Amino acid sequence: MKRLEQIPVKGEGRGNPLARVFDELTNFCRSRSLFILHYCTGCGAIELPPAMTSRFDMERLGIQPMVTPRQADILLITGYVSIKTLKRVILTYEQMGAPKYVIGICSCTVNGGMYWQSYATAKRLDEYMPVDLYIAGCMPRPEAVIEGMRHLMRRIENGEARGWEDYYRRYDHYLGNQQALFGDDWQTPTDVIAEARHYGLLGEQTLGPHTELLQQVQRPLEALEMRLGHGPEHES
Amino acid sequence: MSEGQLERVLHEIEGVQVHQTRPRRTRLDLPAETLPALLELLQGRAGYVHLSAISCVDWIEEAQFELVYHLWSYENHNLVSAHIRIPREPGVYLSVYDLYRPAAFFERDIHEMFGVRFEGSPDMAPFILTEWNGPPPMRKEFDSEAYVNEHLNFRDYQPDWLRELEAEGGGIAIRPEEQRFSRRDEGET
Repeated sequence: MKRLEQIPVKGEGRGNPLARVFDELTNFCRSRSLFILHYCTGCGAIELPPAMTSRFDMERLGIQPMVTPRQADILLITGYVSIKTLKRVILTYEQMGAPKYVIGICSCTVNGGMYWQSYATAKRLDEYMPVDLYIAGCMPRPEAVIEGMRHLMRRIENGEARGWEDYYRRYDHYLGNQQALFGDDWQTPTDVIAEARHYGLLGEQTLGPHTELLQQVQRPLEALEMRLGHGPEHES
Repeated sequence: MSEGQLERVLHEIEGVQVHQTRPRRTRLDLPAETLPALLELLQGRAGYVHLSAISCVDWIEEAQFELVYHLWSYENHNLVSAHIRIPREPGVYLSVYDLYRPAAFFERDIHEMFGVRFEGSPDMAPFILTEWNGPPPMRKEFDSEAYVNEHLNFRDYQPDWLRELEAEGGGIAIRPEEQRFSRRDEGET
């Protein structure tokens, strides 16, 4: 039996206009129902309430806020990402279900912004996770945010917003950058390599020297201890 | 309690310079070794029960750290700032944790950011900085820009982005030379 990826796929000239109709319908529906994760890192989040509420009204585009990463489609990074925050951002990003999109709002996510010489702030967000779209500005106004959202919707509808696949295909690259910041014993609860196998996105650059290092230091996850009241070490 | 109590307490300590900067703001400059006695008297006899912050200033040219203890009295509605100077090397001072419990946090923070060690403080473990192996970052000799250039990467400017935006009908709406502040300068001259 031939492996799936060895079967040749013919190009656009197949002649059947309905061949991709299901994909197109899926993309259309996806682009019309986007849930933004409420994870606001910096000052740019202050532009989101006017963008969401009645004046600029993102909901007319089908974009709504969502409180948990597992139910959200879009991770908005609204401002500077300190190294401490970046850890949480990566944990959040890996928990989101595919397809997922990352939007970097404000100049800080592009190149550090006004924190360009700060020792505690990560400069380029796309070194650590694939970013589909940047909305530059300090801060961008709600019109710019909505224009960026419409741009993302167009890209999703055309099937171009595939940044999340890049995270699986080049996981070694992203993990290497994360390890450079957080140290060699960095690990997340999500098994990204297993997910890449599951999605069939295991590329040539998924595994590499950095994932080998990860597998050497990886500890199995332990369940959190459940305890009522204060433990003995808290008594003073 | 009244203002008289503060003055009586200050008379008991030698070498205190009192400076009333504003109404309800008192600045005290005193030698480092008399500070614990002053704090004890202020807390016990003058009603300054609230230590709202300890701040640190690095005077690198004078090879000194300045520690400022901010004390608030709920009865007098007065803020006392006690300034002391300690030598930058070895940068060790006494903890006031036994007088004011919140001092533990402030001292731990100063230890992390400036490298000042407080003897008798309950915990000097790393506090806010994570993944930090460098020197205490708020010391004046720490060059943040050099650290960033060494450890983090910047993106190069690519003019293609602007062309892409202009192809989609966007671009720079107001050029820097046409911005409001430039126009105002022209109007003034």
